[in-house]
Amino acid sequence: MTSTYILNATWAPTGEVFDLRLTPGSSHCVAELGGITIRDAKVYPSGKMSIPTGATRVIDATGKLFLPALFDMHAKVEIAGRSKRESVSRTGQAAIQGGVWGMLVMPTAGFVFDNAATLDSFQDAVSQRSAAEMFPAGCISLGMEGTQQAPYNTLAARGVSILSDGGAPPTDLLMLHRAMKYAAELGLTFAIRGDVPALSAGTCIHPGTTAYKLGLRSTPPCAEEIGIETIIRLAQDAGAALHIQTVSTAKGVESIRRAKAAGCRITAEVALHHLIYTHENIGDYDTNFKTVPPLREQADADALLAGLKDGTIDCIVSDHTPCPPFDKKQDFSTAPQGMTALDYFLPQLYSKLVATGKLTWEELVRTCCLNPCRIAGPEIDEEEPDGIPLLLFDPQTTGTISAASLPSGTINTPLLGQTICGTVTLPLQ
Amino acid sequence: MNTPKDLLTIEALSDEDIHSILDRTAEMKAIFTGRQNSNVLAGRSVLTLFYEPSTRTRSSFELAARKLSADVTTFSVATSSVVKGESVHDTIDTLMSMHMDYIIVRHKNSGIPGVIAKHCKASVINAGDGAHAHPSQAFLDAFTLREKFDSLAGKRIVIVGDILHSRVARSTSLMMQRLGASVAYMGPGSLVPTTAHTGIPRFTDWDTVFEWHPDVVYLLRVQNERMDSPFFPAADYHQAFGVTEERLLRLDAMDACIMHPGPVNRGVELCDAAMDYRNNLVCNQVENGVAARMSILSYLHPSTLSL
Repeated sequence: MTSTYILNATWAPTGEVFDLRLTPGSSHCVAELGGITIRDAKVYPSGKMSIPTGATRVIDATGKLFLPALFDMHAKVEIAGRSKRESVSRTGQAAIQGGVWGMLVMPTAGFVFDNAATLDSFQDAVSQRSAAEMFPAGCISLGMEGTQQAPYNTLAARGVSILSDGGAPPTDLLMLHRAMKYAAELGLTFAIRGDVPALSAGTCIHPGTTAYKLGLRSTPPCAEEIGIETIIRLAQDAGAALHIQTVSTAKGVESIRRAKAAGCRITAEVALHHLIYTHENIGDYDTNFKTVPPLREQADADALLAGLKDGTIDCIVSDHTPCPPFDKKQDFSTAPQGMTALDYFLPQLYSKLVATGKLTWEELVRTCCLNPCRIAGPEIDEEEPDGIPLLLFDPQTTGTISAASLPSGTINTPLLGQTICGTVTLPLQ
Repeated sequence: MNTPKDLLTIEALSDEDIHSILDRTAEMKAIFTGRQNSNVLAGRSVLTLFYEPSTRTRSSFELAARKLSADVTTFSVATSSVVKGESVHDTIDTLMSMHMDYIIVRHKNSGIPGVIAKHCKASVINAGDGAHAHPSQAFLDAFTLREKFDSLAGKRIVIVGDILHSRVARSTSLMMQRLGASVAYMGPGSLVPTTAHTGIPRFTDWDTVFEWHPDVVYLLRVQNERMDSPFFPAADYHQAFGVTEERLLRLDAMDACIMHPGPVNRGVELCDAAMDYRNNLVCNQVENGVAARMSILSYLHPSTLSL
């Protein structure tokens, strides 16, 4: 088996320099660095690795960083107008370019994970077409309609560990309460966004100066806070594990902090865009900044970051949402929500959070890899021989983002035309 | 001078644009009230594309365009393929094949005129989009007050009622501020966004309005059609926020003017007596609307002409 030899690479979480030998598919070749199990790798102190004569794959990684590849626990793969196989293939390429080796895929209209056949055909498409690992989140309700429980035993038997209706807020709390009581005993985790539909229906923006100026109907932040309190109490009563999706408000963070302090079994995520943008980015109706929940105030972004650093929020997710270009050209209230983020996920995380001193590499690895793997991905503890693949990251490079540099094949991102720092090499072998 | 292609918002205009359009409105008013016509738009095509019902604004624009000798086409949304789900873009493509030079558009969704303007070479005039903007209303309001006061500098204007859903409040307040006036809002908490968001001081009752000594009280129409569920107890509105007979006497004593974008809900925003009040400018607003729209049409420069 051909090995790749990497010299003088810097372990991002600590800044130590190592040499690496990577041998793909070798189950005996597992390294452990800082408590992280790494796939197909042996790690040596710098200068201590012997390279056999005739080795052809030797990379000098001086000035480059290595770290475990990221795991994104909130992405959508469906690309309207393309086949399911192509959607899977393109999203997989986008993930790999963005430094993401695996992801939890939310159910969408074209991928309704509420039955065995859909899960099987999806998993077939992933194994044949995707460069990245994809784990489907099963539906909470049949057809994501919020009225009747999906077949949880069937989903669990197909390897599903997380249930979600893909960002749709719960409308029928009685159905959800019963679903939680049932599925909790199968060890399934519920991934739900905090929201009160009666307060947020028909809205598309955060209440503030932009909403006033543009004359758009706004979502009160208390809808999220009340929604979060509600699902926490339901999950607690039902004894179910709860993962709170795309927290966007300072008060939402505070609710989660209180619940965690009280010992509730909950985890939470924030979308990258809620950390780096505010409602002011919408400017003159830029639909690329239309998200659900909406982009909030700087004070909310600051509170979300503080929540990440103190462990209240466990993960940063991409909330990657491909939209057809024509649909995003509609007026703001009509255009679909969401932006794509996988194609440049790690370069964005680096440029906006690490390079600016807001997040350390250690925190990035914890919130974008270890925690999401623990909540939604495969086991990565020491008994599990697989581990996480490594990536190399070169923070020195810069490039301009064009449609051609977006492997996802969708352009609903505010990054088009922007300059971005950093290039990912993944896989390393 | 390069004049703009579109009129989408007051914000997008320079001070020079605003003053030029207002000055030209006086010339247009002389033509209009003198029952004359101008040839400035002869050979040009004007389309009115109203996705929301409107009689006044549409008639006003169509009359203005005809006074300038333009060819006017009315696109009737209710009977068109739009009701079959055709997108705005496809409708515009169809209409541009008819070589329109000016498209006057009204839509219930904020931002639609901007979407159309980006998509076509014709001059797009926003005749009201959702709760966003109604710039021609702001021009006719400013012109009406300039006739009354000569200058708006230092004048106090309070806009009363449903600010939340009002494109008139947004455009007219901006215009008044650009011309040096002070603007305040008054209305129920469920219908007036906070000052932190609007940047405009807010009163909660008439007593504080009177203490402020407004020169103009601008009443907004209660827009029930934009409210999917009740925003206020309807039975109390007139007594709490309308111009009652008692309040009319106080306005009369301070010589304040009354304005309203129409159509008025009698007995809601205004009592009957307020309609006959000596300083009620509602009819002046309608008359000046035609002149202001003539001025706007003659000022814009469609890209169709540079071909």
